[in-house]
Amino acid sequence: MQLDFSFIGTALLSLFKALPNTLLITAVSVLVGFLIGTAVALIRIYRVPVLHPIASGYVLFVRGTPMLMHLLLIYFGLPMLIDSIAGALGWGFRSTAIPLIGFVYISFSITAGAYMSEVVRAGITAVNRGQLEAAYSIGMTTPQALRRIVMPQALAVSLPNLSNNLIGMLHGSTLAFTVSVVEINAQAQIVAASNWKFLEAYIAAALLFWGMTILIERGTALLERRINNYNRGGVA
Amino acid sequence: MIKLSRISKSFGKNQVLKDITLSVEKGEVVVILGPSGSGKTTLLRCLNYLERPNDGTIAIGDYTVDCKHAGKKDIHQLRQKSAMVFQHYNLFKHKTALENVMEGLVIVQKLPKEEARKRSVEVLEKVGLGAKLDAYPSQLSGGQQQRVGIARALALNPEVILFDEPTSALDPELVGEVLDVIRKIANEGITMIVVTHEMSFAREVSNHVVFMDGGVIVEEGKPNELFGAPKEERTKQFLKRITSDWVYNI
Repeated sequence: MQLDFSFIGTALLSLFKALPNTLLITAVSVLVGFLIGTAVALIRIYRVPVLHPIASGYVLFVRGTPMLMHLLLIYFGLPMLIDSIAGALGWGFRSTAIPLIGFVYISFSITAGAYMSEVVRAGITAVNRGQLEAAYSIGMTTPQALRRIVMPQALAVSLPNLSNNLIGMLHGSTLAFTVSVVEINAQAQIVAASNWKFLEAYIAAALLFWGMTILIERGTALLERRINNYNRGGVA
Repeated sequence: MIKLSRISKSFGKNQVLKDITLSVEKGEVVVILGPSGSGKTTLLRCLNYLERPNDGTIAIGDYTVDCKHAGKKDIHQLRQKSAMVFQHYNLFKHKTALENVMEGLVIVQKLPKEEARKRSVEVLEKVGLGAKLDAYPSQLSGGQQQRVGIARALALNPEVILFDEPTSALDPELVGEVLDVIRKIANEGITMIVVTHEMSFAREVSNHVVFMDGGVIVEEGKPNELFGAPKEERTKQFLKRITSDWVYNI
């Protein structure tokens, strides 16, 4: 058996069809995950009553179970839950109306949220307590101080880890093929199955992921340099 | 103008402030002295609620807070009456000198940006940093950073400025430039409460000296009285130990 180099190119071209799905899954899960993560981090740092143990339990469970399991639990569990609630309340809504990719968005956002909450939490704790005190001393409220003073610095600190998470979610998005959402991995399988050139198709998929990852890394490096402008140091 | 009455503060079992009562008149420059652990910094931080007193009342200007029942609103109101200069400057690291000073004016006092900018530039010029408006804290020396810190407090035009050991973290060479600025604004009649170890500065600038030890005010009075003829034994001991340095320096 020989490697068919030209088919790698052919496969690569057809993989671009599935690129939007991969990008959407990654973008939605990372953005929603970031919002969840920030909320969870703040809840845990400020030990908000009632919510605090829930948030800790969430992080503990999600980080303690594989991402594929979250997807399967949501995929099989959520429709049952929705249908029984809708049935009990007499709504006409059925879970079959939800597109499959919707379950992917939900479950991957939950996954990303737990991991990102730890990144954001570490970032916030890394900001010197004096920054918050200074904000209070000029009369800011806690939300003002968090938004204007603490979070910008916390994000600058967390940027490398957030970009790690982004790459992780990009690669993790391949799991969506298990619930028959056609992203790059699934598309590679489809292309390969038509003429049994699996290795070539997967090599093409790997190249595509690698390319995107390099772009993310470059982007982060640029952003990091821009944001950390203020840390340049050197007494002027 | 500022009235603290029966302020108490404990950290766990350790009572740091015991029933402190203190009045400060408008325009007074109050210096708080005392050995470390005497509670002087804690007292200062209680004034803007960076530490939460367990008991007592704090009145600044026309605003009074009962510490036992103080809510978020009270604390927020009280904090707007004062401004603080920190030992470690605590400038907002991600903002330039100008932005540091503008922040409170725009976000807290809701001044229009142009007006805030104008006032901030004025104040920064007053502390001698007119040429460093766009420098980030990391690009400034300790003395310059502390002067930005003073400008940030001054710009807010608060009822009182609280100084928490403003020169303790500075190189000896840079202490002078910061003290000069503080002296300058003291002469403008701004009410200040200063925790410091700079004895000669305290003596020269202040018009009300408070000596604390073990969480109580041991003695207070005019600088001449307190430095020249302290009444309490503990005060005498402290001043002797602190000021004896200069004998060797000659």
